[in-house]
Amino acid sequence: MVRTALGAQGARLNKGPRAGADYVPALAVVVASLLALLPIVSDTGWWPDFGLLMLLGWRLLRADAWPAWWAAPLGFANDLIVGNPIGLSVAIWAAIMIAMDILDRRTMWRDYWIEWAMAAVFIALSEIAQWRVAGLLGADVAFNGNTGPAILVGVLAFPIAAYVASRLDRWRLGR
Amino acid sequence: MAASAGSRPGWSRRAQYSLFFSFLAVIAGLAVGLILLMLSLIAPQSYAAVRGAALDATAPLTGAMREVATTVTGLVSGAGNYWDAANQNAQLRRDRDALMRRMVEARGILEENQQLKAALQLRERSRQSVAAGRVVGSSFGSPRRFAIISVGSSDGVQVGMPVRAAEGLIGRVIDAGSIASRVLLVTDRANIVPARILRGGQPVISTGRGDGTIDVRPLEVGKNPFKPGDIIVTSGTGGLYPPLVPVAKVVRLDDDGAIAIPIADPSRVSFAVVEPPFEPAALAAAAEQTDRTP
Repeated sequence: MVRTALGAQGARLNKGPRAGADYVPALAVVVASLLALLPIVSDTGWWPDFGLLMLLGWRLLRADAWPAWWAAPLGFANDLIVGNPIGLSVAIWAAIMIAMDILDRRTMWRDYWIEWAMAAVFIALSEIAQWRVAGLLGADVAFNGNTGPAILVGVLAFPIAAYVASRLDRWRLGR
Repeated sequence: MAASAGSRPGWSRRAQYSLFFSFLAVIAGLAVGLILLMLSLIAPQSYAAVRGAALDATAPLTGAMREVATTVTGLVSGAGNYWDAANQNAQLRRDRDALMRRMVEARGILEENQQLKAALQLRERSRQSVAAGRVVGSSFGSPRRFAIISVGSSDGVQVGMPVRAAEGLIGRVIDAGSIASRVLLVTDRANIVPARILRGGQPVISTGRGDGTIDVRPLEVGKNPFKPGDIIVTSGTGGLYPPLVPVAKVVRLDDDGAIAIPIADPSRVSFAVVEPPFEPAALAAAAEQTDRTP
């Protein structure tokens, strides 16, 4: 054991969090928002809201990924990058943080399926809010053509975001 | 797994306070978000500068990635063109001969048209384009249909100007940064284009459906005037869009209108050309309309 502590394979010891580990989750969300800049020109809006998926992935993984109020500036960045009406993600993401705080107090037990179900509810509410705001701005599109498929795609894509968040969490904590 | 216990800081008064203030701050964040959103809904133009700056910051990134994507796709489709080249060649030759005959006919019609117009003393304003850029990105995760083009106010682009490609109409500018702008596509629900059927010239209204198709309805209620395959062109009514620009092709009829697909597919067009409004006075009207529904 002493040899392990001294030896070359001591890679498993003395490994604390990486520098800037506190900011990795927030950065991951901004990078996910930046995925909206991919040069995809699509006729349909069925692609998921990457920033929201990453936010949910982190928040369901850890309650202390960032101070809750960071959701508001992160949402503002998302609005600017994606081109949403400004304030939409700010309000939705802050509301998700509050809802998650309340859910954390109420739920006694959580497993993977419950987390996925919670994420599904948040993704659906967010897409519906986006759809209603678009309607208020003069683009009253049919639910089936756009929002329905977008919710489905977002819910199915959530496990990928959750996986990326958990891998990043292990990496930033040096485990 | 038990629920994460991050929200119970233990006995530390300092940790409890910081958690409490963080909770107050997120509620403040929610309030600020709602206020910003209300402002976006009521007076969207108040964010024009911020949105333009964000476009300028992000569009070069998309543009660079677009170049890479185009090169890779070009390599793949370029290789594909060599496959079955002899048959393709023969087919193209037949098409070219057919088009040549049509072109001669068209030239005859054009000259006749010019003579008739001269006889009627109609004035044709010379049309100059403002700028030409590439379509670099789109709003692929939203119910709105926007595209980003790589020209902005430094090239003379202003909010409200119509955008077209060689194939047909793309939309109109709704946000102009200095090097990039956002275009409201004809497939967006909020984009209403006064148009007519090329065959017969009956006036129709074209509205996007948000899912890549366009809803066309006749202005006069009565018998459904559409047939599958009809070409819809702009009518020039309203003065924003120039007349006779192809908009869409009818694919399916419904009870009193038809569903059409846009002729200029923004993901395929190589260049998007920004033009001045057909009637210069229409720019002010378009800006006013954008104020209400961006």
